[in-house]
Amino acid sequence: MILVVGALASGKRTFVRSLGYTDEQMGYALFDGRPVLCDLDELLHKEELDAQALDDLRSRSVVICNEVGMGVVPIDKFERTWRERVGHTCSQLAADADCVVRLVCGIPVMLKGEELV
Amino acid sequence: MRALVVGGAASGKSAWAERLACSLGPKRSYAATMRNVGSEAQERIERHQRQRAEGNFRTIECPHSLAPAINAAPGGVILVDDLGNLVANGLFPEDGSMADPGELLARLVDEFEQLSASYEHVVVVGNLVGCEGRWRQTGTDSWVRLVGSLCSELAARSDLVVELVAGIACPVKGTLI
Repeated sequence: MILVVGALASGKRTFVRSLGYTDEQMGYALFDGRPVLCDLDELLHKEELDAQALDDLRSRSVVICNEVGMGVVPIDKFERTWRERVGHTCSQLAADADCVVRLVCGIPVMLKGEELV
Repeated sequence: MRALVVGGAASGKSAWAERLACSLGPKRSYAATMRNVGSEAQERIERHQRQRAEGNFRTIECPHSLAPAINAAPGGVILVDDLGNLVANGLFPEDGSMADPGELLARLVDEFEQLSASYEHVVVVGNLVGCEGRWRQTGTDSWVRLVGSLCSELAARSDLVVELVAGIACPVKGTLI
């Protein structure tokens, strides 16, 4: 699995397209059978993931997530919990991923497993 | 050469970009993008003016468009500081309306192309934004996305992209000399 992270509008999906994936192969829901899952942060805003859901993520070719933890601590408790959840989930997935890429201004910066992409 | 210097707030982007511009040649222009509104803006403008006084930059006011810098075209090096201001001034005109983000992006990308045709070296200060979760206000969301998209467009056309972290330049694309 390749984990792709980066800021909003940093070029994450454009990078994944450059790997040969089409928009039809990109999905936004769990268990949809598509190789690419986009907007993991949005998914985590809707639900907490159980072990089965995490396994689904690990079985994907690519998981894309916005980095969301670099701002001010949110006043709202739910938003605080969500922000933590995104960070922890990304760390868990990165540990298992073959390759981790961070997009900076549309440029892929390889954090792990450079030789595989 | 074309260079893009990005980073968070007060990470040392401007100072590093000025040093880079100074190393590229003696004929230097500075495209200033900040609208002078209120005492905080005035203080910031004066601090940046003091900071670049030694560099002998010729200042060209470009708060809304790079056209004045393109038309002046004295060649040499030009430093544009920064994209966040340029996008905010374009997106939120003084009449309180909001511009079309797609049209603004296309116009700014085109202006940077013209700028690169008029100067040998173009150094641009961008902003790393969009890593702090969700914005409920459409205006802020549009600004964040537009700054991100413009940074990506310019990075693709740049020879050098660096991220400043606590004043240290970390290469993202190309190599530091």
